Amino acid sequence: MTAYTKPLPEMTPWSKKFWESTKLHKLSMQRCNNCGKLIFYPRKACPECWSLDLGWQEVSGKAKLNAFTVTMAGVEPVFAPDLPYVLALIDLAEGVTMMSNIVDCKPEDLKPGMDLEVTFRDCTDNISLPLFRPA
Amino acid sequence: MSKGKIAIVGIGEVPTGWYPERHEWDIIYDSCMQAVTDAGINKNEIEGVICSPAVGQPKLDSELVFGKLPEELGLKGCKDIVSVNGGGSTSANLLRMAEHWITTGIAKIVLIMHASKYSSIDPNVVIHTFATSGMSMEWEYPFGTTYNGMIAMLTERFMDKNGVTAEEMASIPVSFRKWAELDTNAMFRKPLTVQEVLSSRMASTPLHAKECNMLADGGGALIVTSPEIAGKICKTPVYKLGEGSRYCQATVTQRPEELMATQVKGAAQDAFREAGLTVKDMDILELYCAYPITMPYLLVALDVCKNGKEAMKFIEEGNTWPGGKLPCSTIGDALSRGHTGSGVGFAYLVETARQLMGKAGERQVKNCKHVLMNCSGGSGMNQIIEIFGRNLK
Repeated sequence: MTAYTKPLPEMTPWSKKFWESTKLHKLSMQRCNNCGKLIFYPRKACPECWSLDLGWQEVSGKAKLNAFTVTMAGVEPVFAPDLPYVLALIDLAEGVTMMSNIVDCKPEDLKPGMDLEVTFRDCTDNISLPLFRPA
Repeated sequence: MSKGKIAIVGIGEVPTGWYPERHEWDIIYDSCMQAVTDAGINKNEIEGVICSPAVGQPKLDSELVFGKLPEELGLKGCKDIVSVNGGGSTSANLLRMAEHWITTGIAKIVLIMHASKYSSIDPNVVIHTFATSGMSMEWEYPFGTTYNGMIAMLTERFMDKNGVTAEEMASIPVSFRKWAELDTNAMFRKPLTVQEVLSSRMASTPLHAKECNMLADGGGALIVTSPEIAGKICKTPVYKLGEGSRYCQATVTQRPEELMATQVKGAAQDAFREAGLTVKDMDILELYCAYPITMPYLLVALDVCKNGKEAMKFIEEGNTWPGGKLPCSTIGDALSRGHTGSGVGFAYLVETARQLMGKAGERQVKNCKHVLMNCSGGSGMNQIIEIFGRNLK
């Protein structure tokens, strides 16, 4: 693997499990054991009820494309070799929305609402980013 | 509640643009001296100074935060100085702080200011600053976000849902440019056509280069005081009549689609209720858009238009242009004026006062009595709506 030069996610103590999970090519979300709310991004306390009793749940990785853009220019040098690349808002089947990139898809084939599935990019020994591709 | 508690009595502003040879304190000198002259006061009558942050310019920012301005300009009557930072919503917060100082007797006459100088910063540092500020460093930035990219996603979704064409979207920068053509303080003044917007380089689909901002140098200053003092020293004081604000969440990609519209409505309701006015009473909407998509969003949220498609038609037909039914964004917004970091909101505040004072020259909207302005910080973390008038009622 060539050395990964792009910025890595700046983790918090509460998101560690999320990234441990993506390392295993699994997508997991925090869940509040008190009110049942699925929480993204991970927090110390549930943003609904402030419970500190939070657990984790693996999610399906199935998703729909909410919105996207094909980035063509105006990026930092470390992202320039990737141009053009797709930034997207992803609606997970479990009701959480997150940002990611769409890969393995020609820009002209992108359609709002299209079905997607998670895939993983191993960046370093510790970090794998969750990306999405057409399902 | 702030109805009629403060008045703007003097305005100063330097042209926005790319002036690498100009020292940042030269911007501050000129805009502050203009404001003092315009107010017809002596510099030593200023009792308080409230500064904007210089986003991405650590040296200037720390000079302002640590109180250099009154010393440098010799403001001998200054009792205190502070910086207030609400990102792009700083302008409204400067006024709130000024109101507190004026109504509690901390200072009778207050200078508020903004200055930015981006032209001498390494372009890569500027790109980095604006790729990361207002972004989540964990959940957005690692995927290659830019401000353009974030707004581009929302623009694509807006166009898809409302059946809006690229030509219609391009009519928004054209509307801005119509105003900037008449504005000697604007960075881009050459007439612009829909075709020119569409043939500019694609930055992040569907946004073309001419639908994205260019950072610029700029600065402005205002003199603020109580209505009582304003009545004695100023022929054309501008009164703040109402305001409302709502929080809209910090992370763009975690913001529910309808939240911004709901929050703008709430903020506007509060502002109109306090002012005892409605949107129909407004002679100008000074809409701080930053990107084209904000204009139709705000026109719908403020009940000027029923939906996105109708808002696009409203803009395309020239209703927001000079001479139009409802002049909007009369500084040409960030796209034509030049983006000065936290200064676009300040430029709108200066323009609001200028229009209500009748000092807007070729851009002057006739018989301008009431102006609504909005501002918003970060990546849209909040929406503040303010209403100003040239009379206290």
